[in-house]
Amino acid sequence: MSATHSHSETCGCHDHVPPSGAVDERHERLRHVLDHAAHYLPTQGPIGVFVHHNTLHAFQHQGFENSVIEAAQLFEAEPFLSEEEYQKAREQGRILDEDIDDVLNREPDAEIIPGRLTRRKLRRALLIPGVRRVNGLDIAWQIEEGDWLQRFRSDLPPASAHLLTGDTPRQLWDICAARVRPQAAPAPHRPRRPHEAILAAKGVDLDRIVHPPLIRLVGAYLDQGIAYWPMPLREEGLLVASRRIMSQPLSIYRRHLSGVRAEFLRQEEKGMNAEDVVLDTLERLAVLPGDWDEFITAELLALRGWAGMIRMLENDVTLAPHDRVKCSLMEFLALRLTYTLVAVQDLMDDTSTWRAITVTPLKMDPLTPVARFFDAAQLIGLPGNVIAALPEEMFEQLAHEIAACNETERRRLLHLAYERRHERGILIPLAKHRALPRTQPEYDRLAAQVVFCIDEREESFRRALEEVDSCMETVGAAGFFGVAIDYAGIDDASGVSLCPVVVKPGHSVREVAVDEHAHLHEKRQWLRRAWAKITRNGFISSRTLVRGWISTALLGFFSLFPLVFRVLSPRAYGRLIKRLNRAFLPEPRTEVTFMRDDKASRDATSGLVTGFTEPEMADRVYSVLGPAGLHKAHARLVVILGHGSTSLNNPYESAYCCGACGGRTGAPNARIFAMMANRPGVRAALREKGIIIPEDTWFIGGYHDTCSDDIEFFDVDLMPEDHHGDLNRVRQSIDKARVLNADERVRRFGTAGNEIRGERALRHVQARSEHIAEPRPEYGHCTNAVAYVGRREHTHGLFMDRRAFLISYDATKDPDNQALARVLGAVIPVCGGISLEYYFSTVDNEAYGSGTKLPHNITGLVGVMNGFQGDLRTGLPVQTVELHEPVRILFIVETTPQRLMSVIKASRELVEFVCNRWIRIATMDPDDGHIEIYRGNDVFEPLVGDEEPLPVTPNSRTWYRGKSEHLPLARIDPHCARAA
Amino acid sequence: MSLEKLSLALIATPGVLFLMLSLVWLLGGDIPERAMSRLTKGAYVFLTLVVSVIYWKMWQTDMHSIRVSLGDWFSVSHYHFPLTILLDRLSLPIVGITIILAGIVGAFSVRYLHRDPGFHRFFLLLHLFTFGALLVFMADSLDLLLAGWEIVGITSVLLISFFQYRPDPVRNALRVFGIYRVADLFMLLAVFLAHHWFKTASWNGMFSGEWPGHVNNLDGPAATVVAVLLVFAASGKSAQGPFCGWLVRAMEGPTPSSAVFYGAISIHAGAYLLLRIEPLLHYSKIATGLVIFIGLTTAVLGTLVHRTCADAKTSLAYASQTQLGLIFAEIGLGWTTFAIIHLISHAVLRTLQFLRSPSMLRDYNRVHAAAGGQIDPTGEHYESLLPKHVQVALYRIALGRGFYDAVVDRFIVMLAVRLAQLLAVFEPRFVSKPAPQPPVAEPVRSPAH
Repeated sequence: MSATHSHSETCGCHDHVPPSGAVDERHERLRHVLDHAAHYLPTQGPIGVFVHHNTLHAFQHQGFENSVIEAAQLFEAEPFLSEEEYQKAREQGRILDEDIDDVLNREPDAEIIPGRLTRRKLRRALLIPGVRRVNGLDIAWQIEEGDWLQRFRSDLPPASAHLLTGDTPRQLWDICAARVRPQAAPAPHRPRRPHEAILAAKGVDLDRIVHPPLIRLVGAYLDQGIAYWPMPLREEGLLVASRRIMSQPLSIYRRHLSGVRAEFLRQEEKGMNAEDVVLDTLERLAVLPGDWDEFITAELLALRGWAGMIRMLENDVTLAPHDRVKCSLMEFLALRLTYTLVAVQDLMDDTSTWRAITVTPLKMDPLTPVARFFDAAQLIGLPGNVIAALPEEMFEQLAHEIAACNETERRRLLHLAYERRHERGILIPLAKHRALPRTQPEYDRLAAQVVFCIDEREESFRRALEEVDSCMETVGAAGFFGVAIDYAGIDDASGVSLCPVVVKPGHSVREVAVDEHAHLHEKRQWLRRAWAKITRNGFISSRTLVRGWISTALLGFFSLFPLVFRVLSPRAYGRLIKRLNRAFLPEPRTEVTFMRDDKASRDATSGLVTGFTEPEMADRVYSVLGPAGLHKAHARLVVILGHGSTSLNNPYESAYCCGACGGRTGAPNARIFAMMANRPGVRAALREKGIIIPEDTWFIGGYHDTCSDDIEFFDVDLMPEDHHGDLNRVRQSIDKARVLNADERVRRFGTAGNEIRGERALRHVQARSEHIAEPRPEYGHCTNAVAYVGRREHTHGLFMDRRAFLISYDATKDPDNQALARVLGAVIPVCGGISLEYYFSTVDNEAYGSGTKLPHNITGLVGVMNGFQGDLRTGLPVQTVELHEPVRILFIVETTPQRLMSVIKASRELVEFVCNRWIRIATMDPDDGHIEIYRGNDVFEPLVGDEEPLPVTPNSRTWYRGKSEHLPLARIDPHCARAA
Repeated sequence: MSLEKLSLALIATPGVLFLMLSLVWLLGGDIPERAMSRLTKGAYVFLTLVVSVIYWKMWQTDMHSIRVSLGDWFSVSHYHFPLTILLDRLSLPIVGITIILAGIVGAFSVRYLHRDPGFHRFFLLLHLFTFGALLVFMADSLDLLLAGWEIVGITSVLLISFFQYRPDPVRNALRVFGIYRVADLFMLLAVFLAHHWFKTASWNGMFSGEWPGHVNNLDGPAATVVAVLLVFAASGKSAQGPFCGWLVRAMEGPTPSSAVFYGAISIHAGAYLLLRIEPLLHYSKIATGLVIFIGLTTAVLGTLVHRTCADAKTSLAYASQTQLGLIFAEIGLGWTTFAIIHLISHAVLRTLQFLRSPSMLRDYNRVHAAAGGQIDPTGEHYESLLPKHVQVALYRIALGRGFYDAVVDRFIVMLAVRLAQLLAVFEPRFVSKPAPQPPVAEPVRSPAH
């Protein structure tokens, strides 16, 4: 799971635009315009910490459906899947006709031909069986050579086909052609930026001239340690550094850029800062103040990855992983416009003439509307004579209605139908499952409780664990477990935040070696430093001239060993490395310093408090146990499992880690949480809050690697003697669950093959995490679609296919909704952000996602680009989203609509997510389990109908065995085996 | 099996695989990934075995070379195109390392390209490439070498443009193709002149004796001309001297193809050619000087440019160019054995580095943590002795990649364009300007309906 950026304040600037005029006002206005344009840039920071967020955060203040369509135009992207994909889904039964009917019934209706045709009927016919693609290019061919005029479409609904009897296609076409007005050629439009004008006038791509030097400069400027020479003059800022470097004498410039030197020298001489340069170029390019907004937005979006990175680092300099460089989007724009200006000057002689050029859009066949009308007439069964007889006004309305239900509109409707089927496929079986008796047997006391992250990847693990040992219960809580800390382990150089990115940690915790192992620690550090020196030296010296000569020639051959073994037997190699580490690198026993040290504990520079006081610890522990309803009668052992993910050769590694920990691992949080909960003082404080932890309950922290399915436990040596038996039982069960989990995961991996099962599956996933050639070490959050906020007992024994975030929340113990507010405030932005990032990266992987991972090239340690000079790619690669079903996440909250809305309305961010429909949400009554679905405008609608079955299966394995597609919910009932 | 047959099997295996795969493809068939994986791995295991056996047998019998003649491809009066392959102490280690590295990259790619729409195409080209590379290293004449040389070149270009649906890879591939063509022109000329002046282009005719220690048979200024032409041809393949600068453009392809071509094998083919014609090279002082000069200048320029590269693959590309420059210089200086060791070591090391280039972030962070957050700053050796403004000027040159592209675009390409325009005057039919080509249309976004 992962977190999101709040962008609720977006575009508060729409309303007031200061007038232009005096010098200061121009500067003021420019800053304002730039801030506005910057909202549209991607908000992805350096890739080492990958934070999932709504790709269209800038639009979140308005409704989802409008936003995706509007953004599609701005970014030249796709708003939904393609019509073909939805139609394919319809053929496969993923969309049913009743879904389309339901969606259409929610849209306003209108009469088109009285007694014969309504808007609904028309749209239904256009969606089922779907229109014939008219691409506006081959109509004449279709008429002359194709079979358009030979016969009507063969897939017409019988009713329409019946109405058309007696008519011929040629007759129908002729009448359509006679009545439908051909399309006027689209009017040429004014270019938004010089690129369009020059492409139209000269066939020269300006971006191809301007981008290479720009990318090289910005790449070198932002570099965090790849280049051997850091860029000189960086302290002067991007603009001045570039200016001084690029205008060195004796430089030879690329074609059309020879004027750069003179321009830079002029700027330098006049001492122009970035704003001066931008204003100056705007003037010389003859961009009127009224067009600034459009012009600057278009210029920034042309290289949006880099511009966005500059903006991110400008807003928060601490995002830079190593070198903090001063960033300014204004300087980037100034540099960009300077290059643009120079190139325009060279190409057009005059820098303002480009404004006069008009751009002719791509030609469309004027017959396009005729062909579309012709197709629609067949679908609705409107014979030629009826069309001919229609009064002018009615005909116009019909033509208008057909044009209005254009491709985007049809895709919108189909998408809603697609989501509706998903919604029903989840809600109906869920309600049925809840109505049936509980699948978990009753025990006096559970053997163990295991707290997992809410992450949907843990769903299968939790289910497997409960299947293995029915005397265990699992709980879901956000993976930082309420412990927001700045943490440094013994091997870390400095602290990092382990909490959702929206939270700033106030407490620092350090891992230190215990006193008696201090010497081991010292030795370890010494060895690691030595290793770092050797590795670093090897890295550099293999690339330089003199050192490279010696080291490459003499030592290069020895890389054959890692090369061969890493590729041919990755798992064995990984284990060898681990064994070597264990043999040579001493492992001191460690402890974490999380107790507040009373004297002068606040660090003056970072503002961090060292550790926690006992009441603070009790608060943290309460924040997890309270909402989850774990108030008393805990099991003898409570395991807290943080998670992370390890993979090699993967710039996106952080995207697979725990986003509730800021794209890092949650292991330290789990360890600290357990230690806190074991303190008698904390337990005493918890008792006052109503949480009574039995004397003999012990908490233990652990770590789950979601890629290799490895599990480890922390501080086992601190555990009381008599709990070892409990831990052994948990270990055994977890080991079995690990195998089951791996077994379930490999069904999705094409490279694993169908015959891999059990232990071999586990070895397979372990090898994936050690394989340098593996672009899909795991699938991350791919396929996520549901978030269930409620008691585990209602999802216990329900196969949810690793697609559901499971958040433990007990409404019966939360009379004042405080816990609900806390839970939703964290999980809606987090899960919503993940869901939307996956949605957009799936519907348009090139525009919103980062395309295929295979040619990605790490640049500056901040991001990836294609090839040697391209834009930074943001979003998720195709290898991560290829299995994803783009639906907005469906939240099911176990509460009542009134209680839910009271919580939502209290937070502006939640209102945006819920009321603007960026997520779907439903409630499940805590008492009787009836479900109500939010339909916008504060309307809830009860769930009716039961067309979706709830299949019963003896265990998960039987249900998924041999299948690789998405699976519907199923009830796991071990006792049904004999019956079946 | 006799050594001759084994040698033939060596070169035939990838060729047959390529033919088979392309036939299946042309007939519309599809080979499942799994089968392709087995086929590829099996083929390379087999090839490795064959090389080992050959090596072992040659070692046992103290044999210096195996020559297999398949007769002539064709003959026109005096001219014969001999199909002869040669395995000797120079080609055997290079053939061995080619097979091992191509095999590893093949095994890597089976995973890496899983589900990529170009999966089939990639392996088709990989096998063709191996065939071409083996042909280069096992050819017994310049003629046959040229055939392999072209195969390697065309597969290289096709793999740079592997992601054909994006314009940049295709554009860069085209550019590399152009540079290859120019460089190959030197090779063609050399072959032509060798035949013309010396009536031979086979190693047998050009040199006598076994490698090492074979003796040059050609002499006179003509030999110098041929040697110089071959030096330029070799420079083209190895991105040296006048042809440096294309290597970064080759980074558009998928990572494993970058590794096998520009880290491992293709880039070293130029050095191999120089090793092969070494006596001829050293016969001519001009050619020797030229090789040393090209090598050293490229190495210096490469290391200079490398210092400012802020992305993983460009940095590796210039690092490769630097080492290749040194290998050229070593060959020029006559340090043959050392050059071979350097070549093989470099190929192995660079392959690993290319394949691991997506790890750079993780590697850097680990080193950073292990070093306690204090990584020694780089670039503070001799460069810090220079005055500040010289440092900036050097940085400018390096960031401009030695102005290579600027010079080529503005002076050479433009010159060629002008020349073509000038020549067009003599062709009245072509004077009437064809209608200006509309700019390449963007992939048609579905129009709004």
